[in-house]
Amino acid sequence: MITAEQKPIEEIREMIAPCKRVLALGCGSCVAECAAGGEKETAMLASALRMAGKMNGEEIQIVEKTIDRQCVKEFVIQLDDVIESYDAILSLGCGAGVQAIADMYPEVPVIPALNTEFMGETKDRGVWVESCIGCGDCMLYFFGGVCPLTRCSKHLLNGPCGGSMDGKCEVNPEVPCAWQLIIDRLTNLGALDRLQMIYPPKDWSKKQGAGPRKIIKEDQQE
Amino acid sequence: MTEMQERCLALFYCQQVPGNSDQERLAIEKRYGRTIRLFPIPCSGRLEPIHLLKALESFADVAYVVTCPEGECRYFEGNSRAKKRVERTRTIIRDIGLEPERVGIIAGSKEHPKSLGEVAGEILESTSSLGFSPVHNLGFAQK
Repeated sequence: MITAEQKPIEEIREMIAPCKRVLALGCGSCVAECAAGGEKETAMLASALRMAGKMNGEEIQIVEKTIDRQCVKEFVIQLDDVIESYDAILSLGCGAGVQAIADMYPEVPVIPALNTEFMGETKDRGVWVESCIGCGDCMLYFFGGVCPLTRCSKHLLNGPCGGSMDGKCEVNPEVPCAWQLIIDRLTNLGALDRLQMIYPPKDWSKKQGAGPRKIIKEDQQE
Repeated sequence: MTEMQERCLALFYCQQVPGNSDQERLAIEKRYGRTIRLFPIPCSGRLEPIHLLKALESFADVAYVVTCPEGECRYFEGNSRAKKRVERTRTIIRDIGLEPERVGIIAGSKEHPKSLGEVAGEILESTSSLGFSPVHNLGFAQK
């Protein structure tokens, strides 16, 4: 899941200030799960912006709508019929959603209402933790399902660093040492020997350095 | 009419709170008229910030929720969740320049139970200094 957090309201108000009619557009997928840009959060932000507008004597109309996914064209086309009546779209989608909307409606300003944070998992009610950096060459098999690139503060592929204490990271004692988790998991799996291998430096060309990455599956194409 | 009678309080309350009988509600409506608008909810844990925000946006000068006494929620955590949601709502309205005191929560007392009418009166009294909400009437609020 892609996680995000709402930008400060003041920052959002500055961005929408030139507009008279704004569509606050929520996304019902990842950002709804992390309580940042779903239907509920969109309604809250729209309500707050309307109130702020009234308090400051501004003539601004904020209309709210949530679609299932902002990053998939088939869902975004729902806006075809209404898009012309707005000066701007205030997107509560992730960065991918914002750009997908902007690509589809290049004549309308698309304003991000969220700061996209990371790919992560829901650890508990109201708690989301980063768990994947999307390196393009997953090595979770070797590390017992714990990603050292994401979860080790030092991103060590050949750990542990030796600084952890009581299973906690020396950089941030609030988080578990990823390498302690890796060793525990591999021990449980009887696969500790996987750590006898020396892992070479990561090939980051699979993540970055050649522009935006693309996946093409011909059997899924028309 | 006094200012207190003209202001509007949106009062959400848990239906499990003692002293919220139909008679009590009718008495509140008769006494306060449109000054208090009552919103019974099955549990205060059902309350979301959007309910308070919509009330403040649409008509209310003040929006409060009355919950069961702490530890007395029949669904265990309803009133503690309501407390967190009220706090979140306060943060939101503070961010737009509205006084956070316009939103609040009152937990009932097991030892000294009060009727809904008494609680409502106390909320009106304690929030009287806030005056009208600038959301509805910028002119009044600026005076």
